Amino acid sequence: MKKRIIATLLALPLAVSTAYAQDSSGVRISGFGTGALTWTNTDKAEFGRPNQATGAKKDLTTGVDSNLGLQADYSINSWLSVTGQGLVRKDAEDDFGAELSWAFAKAKINDELSVRAGRIGLPVFMISDYRNVGYANTFLRPPVELYSQVPFNSINGADVTWQHGFGDTTVTAQLAYGGIDSHLSGGNTVEVRQLSALNLVAEHGPLTLRFGRADGKMSMHTSASLNGLFTNLRAAGTGYKFAQLNQLAGDLELNKKKASFTSAGLGLDWNNIVVQTEYAKRKVDAYINDTSAWYAMAGYRFGKVLPFYIHSELKIDSVPTNTVPLACPAGYPAACTPTMAALRAGVNSLKNSGIGQGEQTTDSIGVRWDFYRSLALKAQIDRVRPQNGTGLFLAPQAGFKGPVTVGSVALDFVF
Amino acid sequence: MKTMIKATLGAAVLALALPAMAEVVVVVNPKAAESSMTKDQVAQFFLGKSSAMTPVDQPESAPIRAEFYKKVTDKDASQVKALWSKLVFTGKATMPKEAGDSAAVKKTVAADPKAIGYIEKSAVDASVKVIYTAQ
Repeated sequence: MKKRIIATLLALPLAVSTAYAQDSSGVRISGFGTGALTWTNTDKAEFGRPNQATGAKKDLTTGVDSNLGLQADYSINSWLSVTGQGLVRKDAEDDFGAELSWAFAKAKINDELSVRAGRIGLPVFMISDYRNVGYANTFLRPPVELYSQVPFNSINGADVTWQHGFGDTTVTAQLAYGGIDSHLSGGNTVEVRQLSALNLVAEHGPLTLRFGRADGKMSMHTSASLNGLFTNLRAAGTGYKFAQLNQLAGDLELNKKKASFTSAGLGLDWNNIVVQTEYAKRKVDAYINDTSAWYAMAGYRFGKVLPFYIHSELKIDSVPTNTVPLACPAGYPAACTPTMAALRAGVNSLKNSGIGQGEQTTDSIGVRWDFYRSLALKAQIDRVRPQNGTGLFLAPQAGFKGPVTVGSVALDFVF
Repeated sequence: MKTMIKATLGAAVLALALPAMAEVVVVVNPKAAESSMTKDQVAQFFLGKSSAMTPVDQPESAPIRAEFYKKVTDKDASQVKALWSKLVFTGKATMPKEAGDSAAVKKTVAADPKAIGYIEKSAVDASVKVIYTAQ
């Protein structure tokens, strides 16, 4: 039902654009999209973008890399405007669904300062706001190793943006504050509160430098398997008087836990050389892994054709210490040791289950061809190496192991 | 001397290879404070890096548009489009308004003290002020 309403909202801008096409009322309709085919060389696990419920196997699939976005901008007067953007893609649920990416009012206070309020993009990455706009990017998809670390795109809140030119250098500083209830794959909802995000960007000619820092409190109470594990830890802790198990359950549980994300990026578009690289560190005071990830992309533009190479890595920095004892002391009931073994295995499995959990490395080669106005054709081959487990692959079956080759072709457009 | 001859020959060859292009000039409202701008200053308005002035574009199909962006921003049409799509779909800016031709650009610029546009040099008249000539 909710989806139907959003779909109607998505169609609305089109109707509005037709109605206003002939005058300059200030309504601007623009859109972007990608039609893509993705496949891999295995049927034993699925390759998806961050937070997708299902992914690609050996058969060609459109669901991983295809999307369609529509945006309406309306200027109320010279300083106040409203913007709404809807996006249709496969995300946490296993079908193409529409979502409201953002809907905000923007007040331009002067030429350098503006304030926005409503649903706004969360600026935690270098390409946060346009990660779904294929046409605006060189690569076919943002490297999943880095972009899986924060599985939500937008917040409900407000931000202030200040842009100032120092000689030939443009500096943009953005400070956002808000929260979001974000739907994750597996039917879960993560609640993010008291989220502050700072985004600093300096542009000098062909060079762009970026630094970002986000802090917030995260909760998730919807996972039956996680809740079951915490209940069992507490029951065993209380029953066998192992206080450290109650402590461990509390440490692992995502309940108003501090989370931070620190990231830096560099972009270069100099003569025909195109470089983009990012580094990011995630810290969460719960079962979610502390991770670091980076990628580097380099390409060279031969006229309309831009071949590129990407290397991307995600590694676990630390996970909470598993304090479940290996065995119970003498004199404990016979059931105690097997219970501990099960709990210990349960806690150990956390680092490889869920979104953005696991370790992985990918090498990719691809090409972007700007063959026609507002259209780009891309092809990309990824060699994905999941490490110490199943990496970021979905629904791994027994016997699955990498590396996996992923192929994709995509047509990006904007209008 | 030899080098000069070579350079002259080189220039002659280039001149032959390129179709004759009209000179592109950047114009603002006669009331605007600026009397001249550098290439980079002009570029920042047309690449969305500053909103102090309002850029006015020519149609995508107009040859002067491609020539202007190549000379002033060193980018071709699709690079500029990709750049703008970053700004548009983040809600940071809206695409520059398009005027139908040089006459329409002059009309918009003449009516708005914050507007900045580009036209053929031959189209310049008293309604606008030239602040940059694309080389």
